[in-house]
Amino acid sequence: MTDRRRINGPPGGTRPPIFASSLESTSDIVAERPQRQRQPNELRKIFLKTGLIPSASGSSYLEFEPSTSLSAARSKPKSVIPPSSSLKLACTVHGPKPLPRSATFSPNLVLTTHVKYAPFAGRRRKGHVRDASERDLGVHLETALRGAIVAERWPKSGLDITITILEAEDDRWWGDAPDSHDAAWGMMNVLAGCITAASAAISDARIDCLDLVAGGVAAVVADETAGRETTSQLMLDTDPADHRSILSACVVAYMPARDEITELWLKGDNSKSSVGTDNRGLGHEALIDGAVDAARGAHSVLAEAVRESAQRFAGLPSGDFT
Amino acid sequence: MAAQRQASSASQTPHLSPAELSYLYTSLSLPGTPIRPDGRSPTQFRPLAAETDILPGTNGSARVGFADGTQAIVGVKAEVERTALGIQALSTAEQQDYAAAGNDDRGGGNNGGSKQGSVSGSGQGSWVQMAIEIPGFRDDDALPVFLAEMMREPLVESVSGGGEGGMVGGLKGRLVINRRWHWRLYIDVLLLSQPLSYPLPLLSLTTHLALLATKLPKLKSKGEEDPFFDDDWNAAEYLYPRVKSTKHSSIPGSISVHKVRPPVTLLVVSVAENIIFDPSREEIAVADAVLAISVTYDTDFDRLKLLSIRTIDPPSRLTQPGVPNSENVATLGSTTAAEESVIVNPSTGEEEVPGVWRPRRGGVKRATIAKMIKMVLEKGGVGEEVLDGLEGVEVG
Amino acid sequence: MASTAADSTAQAAPTAPPSLILPPSQFARLQPHAYLLAHLSPPASSQQPSLRANGRSPSQFRITSANTGSLTHTNGSAVVRLGDTTAVCGIKAEILHTEDIPSWSVSHSSSSLASNKRRKLTSPAENLGADREDGSEETDDDDDSYIEDFSLLVPNLSLSTGCAPGFIPGAPPSALAQSLSHQILSLLRSTRIVRSKDLQIWYQRPNLGREELEVHNEDEQMDVDVEQDRSGGATPEPREIKAFWVLYIDIMIISLAGNPFDAAWLSVLAALRDTKLPRAWWDVDNEIVVCSDLVSEARKLSLRGLPVASSFGVFEADAAAGWRAVLIPDAEEERKIADSERKGIRRRWILADPDGYEEGLSLERVCLVVDRDQGGSGEVVIVKLEKNGGFAVDRKELKQLVEISAQRWEDINQILGQC
Repeated sequence: MTDRRRINGPPGGTRPPIFASSLESTSDIVAERPQRQRQPNELRKIFLKTGLIPSASGSSYLEFEPSTSLSAARSKPKSVIPPSSSLKLACTVHGPKPLPRSATFSPNLVLTTHVKYAPFAGRRRKGHVRDASERDLGVHLETALRGAIVAERWPKSGLDITITILEAEDDRWWGDAPDSHDAAWGMMNVLAGCITAASAAISDARIDCLDLVAGGVAAVVADETAGRETTSQLMLDTDPADHRSILSACVVAYMPARDEITELWLKGDNSKSSVGTDNRGLGHEALIDGAVDAARGAHSVLAEAVRESAQRFAGLPSGDFT
Repeated sequence: MAAQRQASSASQTPHLSPAELSYLYTSLSLPGTPIRPDGRSPTQFRPLAAETDILPGTNGSARVGFADGTQAIVGVKAEVERTALGIQALSTAEQQDYAAAGNDDRGGGNNGGSKQGSVSGSGQGSWVQMAIEIPGFRDDDALPVFLAEMMREPLVESVSGGGEGGMVGGLKGRLVINRRWHWRLYIDVLLLSQPLSYPLPLLSLTTHLALLATKLPKLKSKGEEDPFFDDDWNAAEYLYPRVKSTKHSSIPGSISVHKVRPPVTLLVVSVAENIIFDPSREEIAVADAVLAISVTYDTDFDRLKLLSIRTIDPPSRLTQPGVPNSENVATLGSTTAAEESVIVNPSTGEEEVPGVWRPRRGGVKRATIAKMIKMVLEKGGVGEEVLDGLEGVEVG
Repeated sequence: MASTAADSTAQAAPTAPPSLILPPSQFARLQPHAYLLAHLSPPASSQQPSLRANGRSPSQFRITSANTGSLTHTNGSAVVRLGDTTAVCGIKAEILHTEDIPSWSVSHSSSSLASNKRRKLTSPAENLGADREDGSEETDDDDDSYIEDFSLLVPNLSLSTGCAPGFIPGAPPSALAQSLSHQILSLLRSTRIVRSKDLQIWYQRPNLGREELEVHNEDEQMDVDVEQDRSGGATPEPREIKAFWVLYIDIMIISLAGNPFDAAWLSVLAALRDTKLPRAWWDVDNEIVVCSDLVSEARKLSLRGLPVASSFGVFEADAAAGWRAVLIPDAEEERKIADSERKGIRRRWILADPDGYEEGLSLERVCLVVDRDQGGSGEVVIVKLEKNGGFAVDRKELKQLVEISAQRWEDINQILGQC
């Protein structure tokens, strides 16, 4: 059934463009694969700014630094296919506001999280209606934030957190076949970004939190280097486009002041690799610790953004429009 | 609306009073020996009745019933499907995507960009579709979506070595028939009654059993021919191959052993210093942290391996706080100093008045997570116990 | 923010009882109409200009900025900020095969010959200005029906981004969002800003074009084709449209503080100017359209003109006037109005680019879309004029508004030129 409330495209459906280079033999493309230029424990720079959306009680905008391959492609464009992408998202917080009359009594602040990709956010056009992955992200985000918010300060109130993803991370390098690793690794980076941005927006809305909760990602990657056998390595803040094979990845929402994790999402099978410890079975601990380190990095950016927000708030005469 | 919102949390918050919650928490957090309301040990599972191959129209099916009356049925259907190659992959994939928009099966998995001839040994995660139906929830509600993703994830994630009875490339690899054809697996999970507790353990156990029982007809064609199959159901092969050997003798009395087994997702909660498995609804309501840990067994590895972990929002964060006597207007003045002594909860670091319930706040320490994972993974730990127990069900 | 001097007059002026002193922000919320009125009509003695509550003069637009090409996965993108209103527009191009169009084979396969003839009329290297000539104008008209018939332009505007408290995220598009999407669609169609020529993907039997053969020879020149080439000689084979580009134009209003239409349209305009389509051709072997990923071969859209939208809100001194003024004022009343205006008492103000606060106070809206011929030197053309919600704005004022809009066109032209 067509969606009568939106303007629909041709009824027969359209096809995304197919590039001639992707039909050719694989050999010459491999050279173009973006390489990670950062150290294994070096994070991408994060641009985080609060208060850009005045009609919301709190807002933030987050952007990852484009990878070297992407910025090179921007300055000297050769191919219309971008080598990788960098996360861009906007987060707004509305509330605390009274719950609708129909809602049941709640002694705590009722948190609603909503994550939506813009249709143009990914390599492939997304639909207007939220799909399973977007709902899944919403649940993850809710779990991450609810542990940090002091919810009983606002009984009978609701807080709406909306995140619009303008540009998402790739799940893999575009030149790879879909089977090479088809798990949604990019989603984990998106979640980490969502957590950090939402945390900034919540602080911008002056909601009491136990601590600023920051998101971080770490992954065990197995990169084939020419001539040598595959070695697996722990990397922080991985860009899936940089790596041929990600064995497992982990995203955490972490509160440094309390050294606590409010959200942990780990997936992948790294039983074949030994990372961090001699014991093969303990790869997950190194992975979680790596993600926590990445979150600590994001936390410093977050703290800076929140301080700016507080200064702006203090600078305004009291009783002004908020 | 509000009911929907809260549904995403670990379960609907049971209507327990703050006093009851506090009592539960205290008894569950007794150092070393938690006292559970139903008298189980911390690692003990609820008794369950299970049977397999109950639905003749499916490739594999199972039914599991808990003693509290909740039942789940899982049916696994397999269909042969043409593998989209090269250009077809590029031009047809997106049409499927549009058709399947809003379904539970895609975690952003199948995207285009393949090259000719690249689909060879390994399969795709999108070949496994999982749908969960829970009474009282819509298909697109947060809970079914989250559960489906949580259970599909370890299923397609698992990779494994070859060898006799092994599965190269895990389940995905098993589904490949040849370069042009593959199996598509539909796993339909049906919960028969309103969930009384967080339905994850029940659904996961049932799915595990159904997958163990799943058979695929024996392939008669060879190589790259269009596949055709033996119509003798007795000749059919198990989806998860079995090895007829007794060298792995941890399961006494079993004739055939699985080298690779489907993953199973365990629900683990922490209450103060204690780790508790298979929590009931009341127990989950006071938990500090809830984790869903997916593990599988692989003889290559000779121990359990971890496939995925997800945090589940503990409903204890949404409970109603108790009011300490010192703050209670009705009893003001009748308090004694002893009652107001404040202790610090070692797990949450919060000031607490004993006997007065505070909703849980904050997250979980890394040490606690590590402990939870260890209890699942270690040799002779809970994970192995569960998997062995399930193997017993299947054989018997 | 208003100056404090203006605020103090605001409190003293219309209704507030002297005993009750309110801070300006509360006054603005309790008595929005009186608050804005006090700002716009300062007492003659104070020597202050008539300013709006946000400090702008009635005909002043908010600070506008545009930034294009920042989104990686789009063919064209733009971020436009109009004061506190922010619109992000991303254009993604996809391919519509003619075989996927149910009515195509019936209506168009026979006309491919005719369109081929037309193509020869307008030389292949048609330059941009030449299409206003009589001969080619007709061609354009005909071709542009493709855009409408096969819905090759698909604009959708989304307000459920948390841009303002009223819009529930995840809900179906609100009435406002639907109306804005349709306004943008109808404007895209009526201005014919995108040329159908740019969206067509042709297939030419290889023995015709000299240049095509050159470009394609590595990709699709097969032995068979060469044979055809020899045998075919110089007789031109029919050229046919094999596919169209479909532009999905998605506008996310990230922040809403009034006047979403101007911001959305400007973002569409900027994104269209930024849009590059890769070179695409029909691949005979695989029977699909294949694109080249070389930037050097991608080309920009050649847009027709630069229609710029300017919206106005009408603020009336008498808050209830909108309800009573059912009749067109007769001559006597007109004289009265003229009299009062001479005395410096104004009944209404036309506010350019109203912000959210002002939009809530003005019933009557005017939206003008103007363009200039020949890259700005020519006459101002009114592309669209929409006025609703009241009777206040008359011919004379409309003329003034057109002038303001023309000025606005210059500003926007400059802003878009810079990005």
